[in-house]
Amino acid sequence: MSERIGFYICHCGINIAYRVRVKEVAEYAATFPNVAVSRDYLFMCSDPGQELIEKDIKEYNLTRVVVASCSPRMHEKTFRAACQRAGLNPYYAFHMVCVREHGSWVTENEDKATKKARILVRAGLKRVSYQDSLIPSKFSVNSNTIVVGGGIAGMQASLDIASSGFKAYLIEKQPTVGGHMLQYDKTFPTLDCAACIGTPKMVAVAQEKNVELMTYAEVEHVSGFVGNFKVTVNKKARYIKSNCTGCGDCAKVCPVEMPNEWDVNTKMRKAIYISFPQAVPVRYVIDKRTTSPCKTSCPAQTNVQGYVQMVKAGNYQQALNIIMERLPLPGVLGRVCPHPCETDCRRALIDSPVSIRDLKRFAADNGKFEDVPKPEVKEIDKHIAVIGSGPAGLTVAYYLRLKGFKVTIFEGMEKPGGMLRTGIPDYRLPPVILDKEINNILSTGIELKTNTFLGKDFTLTSLKEQGFDAVFLGIGAHVPVPMNIENEDAFGVVDAVPFLRRENLENAGSAKKHVVVIGGGNVAMDAARVAIRSGAETVSIVYRRTEKEMPADHEEIKGAKEEGIEFITLVGPKKVITENNKVIGIECIKNELGPSDKSGRRRPVPIENSEYIIHCNMIIPAIGQKVETAPVIKDTNIKLTSWGTFNVNPVTMQTSEPGVFAAGDSVTGPATVIEAIAGGHKAVKAIERYLNNKMELFEQEKEQENREQQISNQEKQDFLPIPEDINIVERGKPVFIEPDARKNSFNEVDLGLDETSAQKDALKCLNCGGCCECKLCVDQCKAEAIDHNVKDEKQIIDAGSIIIATGFDPLNPSPMKQYGYGKYTNVFTNLEFERLSNATGPTSGKFLKRDLNDPMKFTDPPKSVAILHCIGSRDINYHEYCSRTCCMYALKYAHLLKDKCGHDTIVYNFYIDMRCFGKGYEEFFKKVQEEGVKMIRGKAGSITQDSNGILTVTAEDTLSARMLSIEVEMVILCTAMEPRSNAEEVMRKFGIGIGADGFFQEEHPKLAPVSTPSSGVFLAGACQGPKDIPDTVAQAKGAAAECLALSAKGEVEVPPMISYIDPDICVGCQVCIGLCPYSAIEYNEFKNVSEVNSAVCKGCGSCAGHCPSGAAKVRHFTDKQIFAEIDGLLLN
Amino acid sequence: MSEFEPKIVGFFCNWCTFTAADLAGTSRLSYPPNIKIIRVMCSGMVDPKYVIKAFLNGVDGVLIGGCWPGDCHYINGNLKARRRVAMLTEILKQYGIDERRFWLRWIAASEGNMLQEVVNEMTDKLIKLGPSPLNKSHKADLVLDS
Repeated sequence: MSERIGFYICHCGINIAYRVRVKEVAEYAATFPNVAVSRDYLFMCSDPGQELIEKDIKEYNLTRVVVASCSPRMHEKTFRAACQRAGLNPYYAFHMVCVREHGSWVTENEDKATKKARILVRAGLKRVSYQDSLIPSKFSVNSNTIVVGGGIAGMQASLDIASSGFKAYLIEKQPTVGGHMLQYDKTFPTLDCAACIGTPKMVAVAQEKNVELMTYAEVEHVSGFVGNFKVTVNKKARYIKSNCTGCGDCAKVCPVEMPNEWDVNTKMRKAIYISFPQAVPVRYVIDKRTTSPCKTSCPAQTNVQGYVQMVKAGNYQQALNIIMERLPLPGVLGRVCPHPCETDCRRALIDSPVSIRDLKRFAADNGKFEDVPKPEVKEIDKHIAVIGSGPAGLTVAYYLRLKGFKVTIFEGMEKPGGMLRTGIPDYRLPPVILDKEINNILSTGIELKTNTFLGKDFTLTSLKEQGFDAVFLGIGAHVPVPMNIENEDAFGVVDAVPFLRRENLENAGSAKKHVVVIGGGNVAMDAARVAIRSGAETVSIVYRRTEKEMPADHEEIKGAKEEGIEFITLVGPKKVITENNKVIGIECIKNELGPSDKSGRRRPVPIENSEYIIHCNMIIPAIGQKVETAPVIKDTNIKLTSWGTFNVNPVTMQTSEPGVFAAGDSVTGPATVIEAIAGGHKAVKAIERYLNNKMELFEQEKEQENREQQISNQEKQDFLPIPEDINIVERGKPVFIEPDARKNSFNEVDLGLDETSAQKDALKCLNCGGCCECKLCVDQCKAEAIDHNVKDEKQIIDAGSIIIATGFDPLNPSPMKQYGYGKYTNVFTNLEFERLSNATGPTSGKFLKRDLNDPMKFTDPPKSVAILHCIGSRDINYHEYCSRTCCMYALKYAHLLKDKCGHDTIVYNFYIDMRCFGKGYEEFFKKVQEEGVKMIRGKAGSITQDSNGILTVTAEDTLSARMLSIEVEMVILCTAMEPRSNAEEVMRKFGIGIGADGFFQEEHPKLAPVSTPSSGVFLAGACQGPKDIPDTVAQAKGAAAECLALSAKGEVEVPPMISYIDPDICVGCQVCIGLCPYSAIEYNEFKNVSEVNSAVCKGCGSCAGHCPSGAAKVRHFTDKQIFAEIDGLLLN
Repeated sequence: MSEFEPKIVGFFCNWCTFTAADLAGTSRLSYPPNIKIIRVMCSGMVDPKYVIKAFLNGVDGVLIGGCWPGDCHYINGNLKARRRVAMLTEILKQYGIDERRFWLRWIAASEGNMLQEVVNEMTDKLIKLGPSPLNKSHKADLVLDS
């Protein structure tokens, strides 16, 4: 059968006909082969126009129809339906040519527009004959609706859907529903209170059984298509279970304060909080941010922020409790820890880091060990041998004991403590402190055997025979490393380790008159400072690089210098000079710094012929220690590293001998106390798992961690922001004994902070991590609703339709320097003013000025106020659009000011135009004018502030054409409504569009105001453009109706323009499979071809655009059809 | 050559550039009539042979319009288009088609003004460049006018 085409061109009134000579085009079309009828008509989309097509199809036996009119995005559906009514398959029969949007409206010249129309029509007539019959697939519609955003739009839409019997999932990012409307006080023009009309809606969404309310949750991912969406929601951890009664006892004890977002930072809240008293759900939430850097930088992961907050609150016992969760030796670490936490402290960005170590010591000195809560120990019949009672061994013993294991410590020396006792001098760590803390550890029921030496008194094998189930090696590194120079073994050369051990344990006073210490680490400093206390007259430290490269702590170097110790740097030892095998001096060589070595420090290079002699009678080398492993590893499989330390699994600390674990200096080589404790913690975890046969958990955790690592790498750091108006506070200074007094005694040098300076220093903490996890709230909660270990939860929801009601952001006027927002104390934004007006706000509903010195304090009511309209709206520098609500709420403010502050309050409104367009709005304007509000037609240009805080607003009064300078006490900036800052992200998630103004784009500005290009996704409220509450509610109801239409019909047609792969042509290369973004193509091994799953394919044509054999095609966009179109455009 | 009117074919993505063209129309932003638009569902479905076919038929320029990277209605079709265009440009060059005749532009649905600018610019540049070597009959349009 030969084709019979009907062609129609529309005048569109005159929209097309004023540029395109439609009759000429119709005549031209008629000359084409197979065109059976060609007409022009005034309005093709009208009923008579459509009937014309239907009549012609029947009368002329048309097989195809081409309409040249507006964009196919407008009326393609209309004409397809007409063809269908006349019995033709619409995809087979119909093609639409756009001669309005792409023709008459964009072409200035009539000849050119007509010519363009002719060419476009030519292409359309060629194409239409190649079209195929297609039948849209039908899918069932899931009747659930997802509503994103719990403001008034989202709440209203959810309630409308629920009332029809279908289910709505209301997802709100904030911990409470309500949105901006509930932050306001009164609503224009009727002045009903926002809470009075809003809270019933909030309560309703929580109680309505067809609404599933998900607060503190965000949509993470959307897949599927209209009627069949799968939405992944991330429910953020709230840390408070649903049995929270909202009593608020927890917030009373929470030590962490931060600005309340709900009150636009005009008021403080706690880290555990509800946004405002009427919040729904009435369920508290804990604000946890990225873990604070002090905690992450601590090798033992001590909750630093927690105990610093407890010191601030004066709760020293709880501070000690928190420290003891990770550190069994708080007083020791409070004195000797090199505090990596202070290096990372963010307070240093402002002035100086919090004195974290001193605060720890303060807590340890002021809390009581006997009051630290210990878990009820359930005895476990497993016995662990801990060898060595240094920090690693004590950590392992203490925390395993608290878990109920039986622990015996074997110590080679007379007293426990390891390097803490033998290595660290008493003036840094008084033995009484050490004894107290070790006794506390032992008091948990740990057996201690002193003077019992591994290799001499027992072996690993003998321990096994005695029935020990696991062994921990914490034997430290006590063997001196030799200098490898001549005469090293002369009388008078004593290594630092034995020297310190002897002085610490026996107070031997063994130092000679003139002492040289070799080395630049903490041990060298200790040796030098001990030497001066044990009888030396002069002590010199010889170090081969400069002071800058010294690994010793800054405090130690400073202390040594204060005590008169001489520093000889850039000098290396060459030879010990002796007389009768007694030291009389040391020959040294001068160095200069060369290129950097592996550690990043510059390498010392000896200068030739620069040797010289330093006279002395004692040399103390302090250049390192190693581990004495020989007696340990005898008859075992324990392997060593090339450094001579135990080779352990870095996660489990297990050696190559199962059941034998190690940590501390014997694994790391000489290191710090805190690192030994950190290693001990790893061993505790591993030993417990080893004894419970659960070592495989480590593998599983590793995978989990890798995954989490990937996620957290993507996430930005989310520390609590540093307040802008923060004062510089000097670091607390501990009390030191004067150098002259301390040089002759081993009494403690650093006496720590006093209470006032400790609290002052703790107050400096910025609470980077939000909640400090002091867990006071847990003890306080009678409902036992708090659980700090909850994690975010994902939920996948099936839904048929989605409503986006994400609202707007208020513009931040800070960049507009001329208005001085953020600089002048009494310049408010509209939202801040709403909070002042609101009974739950910072002033309990009173209009008060801010204190000039403290913006969080409010004083007395203003006597004069200027309200500035159009801040950021109708302004080409910010937003060209009108925000539509400002005129009206400005009038509302004027009225409220007169009402609450008295009628003698002078209120000015600076406006460009008054736009009072809604029902009752103009009347309200008139009413406010009658109240004596001064209306000035002119946009305010600038604000200045004098020393008394009086603000001067400068503006042109455009009605009287003169400049005005008006003094007021308060200014309110009516800021623009902006698209949400994450609008683009939301756009991508839901596959919708954004308009030039940044708000979400509706499908048609007039006829489809709530639809989007993504079928099944609808818009409601201010996310689509600035709107007041009545318009928002109306749109929400519209969007709900769209969703209900889908749900009620229960079935949806999906356009049939999807891909298919011609099995006769496909060679099975499978390239398409990798290209398909929806994984809709699968390989059929049996037939050796790729096949499209039509339920999943969306018709993007990624496959068709690439298919090397031309087997993959998109229906309705086949090669033949496109080629015909190209031919039509380019050939005659 | 002053009367040379280049012929341009645009393959426009239904979701962005095609809609931008509609918006340019509704906003009455006029541009030269040289461009003729073919609607496709995604820039990623533009098969290289469509472009080759257009050049073989004597077109002077081809413009592919897609969504901005990240904004594709089909996740990443526009990125596939970008790779394909890069490759095709190299091939076309070898057959004597100047790369200045083959454009790929990201134009979002709201960027009607950008569509106008791009079409203006492309038409201007093609006029300066002269007819495509394969455009044997660029007078044909004049015949049609008569």
